Amino acid sequence: MDRKKLYKGWEEQASRELRDKNLEDHFWETPEGIKVKPLYTEDDLQKISHEIGVPGLPPYTRGPRATMYTNRPWTIRQYAGFSTAEESNKFYKEGLKNGVMGLSVAFDLATHRGYDSDHPRVVADVGNAGVAIDSIEDMNLLFDGIPLDQMSVSMTMNGAVIPVLASFIASGEEQGCPREKLTGTIQNDILKEFMVRNTFIFPPKPSMRIVADIIEYTSKKMPKFNSISISGYHMQEAGANQVQELAYTLADGKEYIKSALERGLNIDEFAPRLSFFWSIGMNFFMEIAKMRAARYMWSKIVKEFKPKNDRSLALRTHCQTSGVSLMEQDAYNNIVRTTIEAMAAVMGGTQSLHTNSFDEALALPTKFSARIARNTQLIISEETGICNVIDPMAGSFYVESLTSSIVEESQKLINEIDEVGGMVKAIEMGIPKMRIEESSAKRQARVDSNEETIVGVNKYKPTEKQEINILSIDNEEVRKRQVSRLQKLKNSRDKKNVESFLEKIKNAASSDGNLLEICIEASKNRCTVGEMTSAMESVFGRHNLSTKTISGVYKNTVKNDGKIDIIDNELSKFVNKKGRRPRMLVVKMGQDGHDRGAKLIATAFSDLGFDVDIGPLFQTPEEAAKQAIENDAHVIGVSTLAAGHKTLVPLLMESLKNNEASYIKVICGGVIPPDDYPFLYDLGVSKVFGPGTNIQEAAIEIINLL
Amino acid sequence: MKLKSYLKLFQISNINFSKEIGISSVSLSRYISGERLPEKRILNKIFKLTDGLVDANDFFLSSSPSQDLSEIDKEEIKKMVLNIREGKLKDLAKAITLVESSLKLHNAQADFLLSKLKQNKNSLRVGITGVPGVGKSTFIETFGMSLIDLGFKVAVLAIDPSSKRTGGSILGDKTRMMKLSVNKNAFIRPSPSQGNLGGVAKKTSESIRCLEEAGFNIIFIETMGVGQAETTVYDMVDIFLVLLLPSGGDELQGIKKGIIEMADVIIINKADGNLKNTAEITMLEYKNAQNMISNIREDISPEVFLCSSTESIGITKIWNFIKKFEKIRRDSGSFYKTRIQQQTKAIWRNIFLQSQDYIENNLKYKDSVKKIIKDVEKNNFDVNNASKIIFDSILKRNT
Ligand code: B12
Ligand SMILES: Nc1nc2c(ncn2[C@@H]2O[C@H](COP(=O)(O)OP(=O)(O)O)[C@@H](O)[C@H]2O)c(=O)[nH]1
Ligand SMILES: [Mg+2]
Repeated sequence: MDRKKLYKGWEEQASRELRDKNLEDHFWETPEGIKVKPLYTEDDLQKISHEIGVPGLPPYTRGPRATMYTNRPWTIRQYAGFSTAEESNKFYKEGLKNGVMGLSVAFDLATHRGYDSDHPRVVADVGNAGVAIDSIEDMNLLFDGIPLDQMSVSMTMNGAVIPVLASFIASGEEQGCPREKLTGTIQNDILKEFMVRNTFIFPPKPSMRIVADIIEYTSKKMPKFNSISISGYHMQEAGANQVQELAYTLADGKEYIKSALERGLNIDEFAPRLSFFWSIGMNFFMEIAKMRAARYMWSKIVKEFKPKNDRSLALRTHCQTSGVSLMEQDAYNNIVRTTIEAMAAVMGGTQSLHTNSFDEALALPTKFSARIARNTQLIISEETGICNVIDPMAGSFYVESLTSSIVEESQKLINEIDEVGGMVKAIEMGIPKMRIEESSAKRQARVDSNEETIVGVNKYKPTEKQEINILSIDNEEVRKRQVSRLQKLKNSRDKKNVESFLEKIKNAASSDGNLLEICIEASKNRCTVGEMTSAMESVFGRHNLSTKTISGVYKNTVKNDGKIDIIDNELSKFVNKKGRRPRMLVVKMGQDGHDRGAKLIATAFSDLGFDVDIGPLFQTPEEAAKQAIENDAHVIGVSTLAAGHKTLVPLLMESLKNNEASYIKVICGGVIPPDDYPFLYDLGVSKVFGPGTNIQEAAIEIINLL
Repeated sequence: MKLKSYLKLFQISNINFSKEIGISSVSLSRYISGERLPEKRILNKIFKLTDGLVDANDFFLSSSPSQDLSEIDKEEIKKMVLNIREGKLKDLAKAITLVESSLKLHNAQADFLLSKLKQNKNSLRVGITGVPGVGKSTFIETFGMSLIDLGFKVAVLAIDPSSKRTGGSILGDKTRMMKLSVNKNAFIRPSPSQGNLGGVAKKTSESIRCLEEAGFNIIFIETMGVGQAETTVYDMVDIFLVLLLPSGGDELQGIKKGIIEMADVIIINKADGNLKNTAEITMLEYKNAQNMISNIREDISPEVFLCSSTESIGITKIWNFIKKFEKIRRDSGSFYKTRIQQQTKAIWRNIFLQSQDYIENNLKYKDSVKKIIKDVEKNNFDVNNASKIIFDSILKRNT
C-alpha cells in the first residue's frame, strides 16, 4: 500500500482513540528541548542528517570496532577505592575474582587536591571518598599482587595528575613492568574540573600545559595508555542535559587537540589514544542516540585536523550509569534503574562500563551492593544474547531520528562555544557552568512540583522504613595510619636528594621541561604527592573558583501548588517580626567539591525569598563560622556529600561556640547516612535534609525553625 | 513634638518659657504633664514660639506608642558598643543588622547605638563602582590584602542587588574575596539592597560608623554601577573609584555617564592577557575625555589607571595616588569640609527617604486619601486642591 495513505490511516485511527484530545498534545518536549513525536516512520529516516555507515569504519556512528561485542564484550570496569591502599587492594582482588576485568581507581579528595594526608586542610577527607595515596609506597601497596603488565588500570585523577600518574608509572617499574607495557587510562581532563568536578589545583593556563605534558609524554613512551578521558559524565551528574553533556565534552576534546598540536605533536600520534566518558541516565533512547551522535560528530571534528590514520577518528568510550538518578528512598529500586541504564550503555556501544551500587545515595558501596552492581553487567552480557548483534538499534526510525536531532542541537552549542573563542575562554566566562546549573535548577523544580516522577521519592512512597547496611569508614583511623606511614617514609629517605628533586620540579614548572618525566624520577626517590604538588604550586599558584550564581530559573519552572503562597505568607510574618528576611549561609567545608546541591539550594532559596550568602568551596569550619557571624546569618546550611560531616560539623559547632555565636542555627543537607542523624542532632544541629528533599517543604520547615 | 522634648532640645528652662507665654511655671508644668489642657490662646502662643514644632495635637492626641528604649535595652546596647570597640566581630555584625532592620524597635536601638559612637576623622571611606563582573570584588580582594600587609584594618560593605520579583537575594561577593574574607584584619558584609537602593544607602552610612568604631580604618563600599545607589554612596565616601572594562565607550560599558563624571580614580581593570592592548587604548580614551569633564574636587584632578586585579598589576600606583589625594585634601582641610557637607546632605536625604517611605507605605493607604483620589477620578474634585489637602495632612501628621 502507498505509504502516505497508510500513515493517514494511522492518524485517523489514533485520533479516534484519543477522542477529544489532540495528537499534538502527545508530543514530548525533552529537557534538551527536542520535540519527540508519538510515532516515527520510514519518512523520518529519510530526513536524518548524519551518516549511519558500518561499525569499525568512519564515521564510526555504529561503533569504533568492526566486531564490537561479538568478538569481545565490553570491559566490566568498576570504579572503586576507599580508606587505605591495603583495603582497596583487597577489594580489587575480590572483584577480579568475580568478573571484573579492569581496575578503576577512586582517589580520596585529599589526593585529588594535591594534599598529603597530614595536611591540616584535609582532616575530614583522608580515605573517605576514595583511597588515600601519598607516595609511591602507597601505590606499591595498592597494586600489590596485581601484575600491571596484564591489568588495565583506569585512574580518575585530574588535579594532582602529574604526581599521581608519575607514582603509578614508577610503581609499575618497581614491580617490574616497564612503562611502555602499561595499559589503561588517566582521566587528565582538567577543563571539566573547572566546570563541574572541582578538583582543580592550578589556574587554567598551567593546568592546560600539564595536560599537554602528559599527552606528549604518553604518546612517546606509553603507546598502550590512554592519555586522557574526555568526560561528559560529570557534567550530566552536575545537572547537564544530554545535549549539553555531548556538546561541551566534544568542545573540550577540540581544545585538547589544539593544545597537543601546539606542542608540535602530530594528530595521529595522540588522537587514537584520546578516550571519552559518558554518563548514562534514565532517558533510555536519548542515551543510545547520544552515544551514536558522539561518535559521528567526533569523527567529523577530528577530520578537520587532517589525520592520515582513520583510528584517529574513532571515538572509544567508557560509560557509567548515572549516580544522580539513584535515590536514598526505597533504595532497592536503584538496582532496576541501574539495569536500565546499563542496557542503554550497551545498546549504545560502550567499550567499558561501571554500574553503580544501589546504596549510591547513602555511602560508598559495601561488598554486597558492589556484587549486585557487578552482576548486573554479567547478566546482561552472559544471559541475554545482546552481545551477539552489533548496534541493534541502528535503523530504528526513532533512534536514528533522535540521533540526528542531538547532532543538530549540540552543534548549536558547540558553535556558541566557538564564537567566544573556544572552551577555555567559555569556561573563564562561566558560560557552560551557568547553563548546566540552569538545567539542574529546572530539573529540581520539575521534581519538586511532581511533573517528573521519581518512584519512591515523589510518588509511590514506601510506608515502611528499610534498613540498609552501609559502609562506614573510620576516617580518623585511616588518617592516623597514613600519617604514620608518611612519617616513616620521611625519616627513611635521603632528604637532600628529595630537596634536589623538588627543586628540579620547580625549574621544570618555570621552564618548559616535561613535568611528568621529572616527577617519575622524583616519585622513585620518595617525593610525596603533596610535596611534588607544592613544588609546582610555588610556581603556578593555587586556583580559586569565583562562584557565579543564577537566579529566577527555579521559580520560573516550578508550578505553584499552594506551597509558594504558604512560603510568601510565612516570609512576610517573619519580616514583620525580625525586621529582615531569613538569611542563610550555604557552606561547603573540606575538600568536598560536590556543589550541585549547594548551588541549587542557594538559587532556589533566594528565588523563594531568602537572603542567601554562598560561601566559597573548600572552607574550613572556622572560616565558615567567621563568615556566618560577620554576615549575621540566621542559619548556616551545611551541604556535605563526601562523608566529612562527622569531623567537620563538630568543628563548626565548636567554632561558633568559641565566638559566642551559638545563636546561629545549623542545618545539614546532602549524603548523610540516616544512622548519623542522631550524632548530628546531639551536637545541636537543628535539622538534616537528605537526598530527595523537596526544596519548598524544606523552606517552610526552616522558616518555622527560625 | 511634645513640649517637654522641645524644651530639653533647645535647653530652655520652664521658668523662662512660662514667662514668655505669660503664665505661671506651675501652669506650664501642668500642661506638660497633661494634667490640664491649654486653651486656644496659649496654644497659639506656643505654636508661634516653637516655630510650629509644638502644636495643639501634641497636647490633645495621646502620643503614639513610645519608641523609648527600656533601660535594659540601653544597657545591652552600651555593652555592645564596648564590645565593638574591643573588636568583637559578633557585636559589630549585630549592630549592622540593627541598622539595616525594618523594625521600628531596631531602628530606635540603632539610633541609640549611633548616638554612643564617636566621630572618626582618621578613617578613609572608599566608594567603588562599576558594572557587575568588571572585577570590583576581585579588586577589593587584591587591594585590600595589600593594605592589610601595610598594617591597615579593612572593611567592605557590598551592596548586592536583590531580585525585585521575589525579594530574595544571593550574596556571593565573598567567594571573590577569599583571602580577605578569612583575614582577621578584615570584615566583609554583603547587604541585600531589597530593591530599595536609596534606602540601603542610608543604612550604609550608619554601618560605616559602626565599622569605624571597631577600628577599621579603610572602608570600601561596593555598589553595582547602575546609577541610583552611586550618587548616594558618592555622598558618604571620601574618594570614589570607578572600575571600567577594557573596551571603548561608556555605552559599551553599560555604565551611566554621570557616574564616570563623579570618579576621583578611573581604573581600567582586567588589563592582562589578551585584553592588555585594548586596556591601554581605553585608558588613553579616558585620559583624553577627562579634559572635558569639569573637576568636582577643587584641589586635585581625577586620574586614570590600568590595573589587573587578578595579577596584582597597577595596585601600588593606585594606592600612591589615593595617598596623595588624601594628603592634599586633609592638608587643605577640604577632606573634613566635604565630610561636614555630607552630613548636611545626609539630613536632607533621610528626610526625603522618610517622606517617600511614609507616602508609599502609609499615606497611599489612608481611607481619606483614597476617597479624595476617587473624587478626582470622578471629576468631583480638581487635582490642585486634592494635592493641597493631602499635603496638608502630611504636615499635620502626628501618628
Ligand atoms: C552528582 C555526584 C557527583 C558529581 C558532582 C557534580 C557537582 N558539581 O556537584 C561528580 C560526578 C563530579 C562527582 C564526583 C565525585 N563523587 Co560524587 N556523587 C554525586 C551523586 C551521584 C549525586 C549528588 C548530587 O548532586 N545530587 C543532586 C543534588 C541536588 O542532591 P543533594 O546534593 O543530595 O541535595 C539535596 C538534599 O541532600 C538537600 N540538601 C543538600 N544540601 C543541602 C543544604 C541545605 C541547607 C538544605 C536545606 C538542603 C540540602 O537538598 C537537595 C535537594 O533535594 C552522589 C550520590 C547520590 N546519589 O547522592 C555521589 C557521591 C556524593 N559522590 C561520591 C564520591 C566518592 C565522589 C568522588 C569523591 C569520587 C572520587 N573518588 O573521585 C568525586 C569527587 C568530587 C569532588 N570534587 O568532591 C560519593 C561520596 C561517598 C560518601 N559520602 O561516603 C557519593 C555518595 C556516591 C557514592 N555512593 O559513592 N559526584
Ligand atoms: N583577567 C582578569 N579577570 C578579572 C580581573 N578582575 C576580576 N576578574 C574576573 O572577573 C569576574 C568578575 O569579578 P568580580 O570581582 O566578581 O566582579 P564584580 O561583579 O565587579 O564584583 C571574575 O571571574 C574575576 O575572576 C582582572 O583583573 N583580570
Ligand atoms: Mg562583586
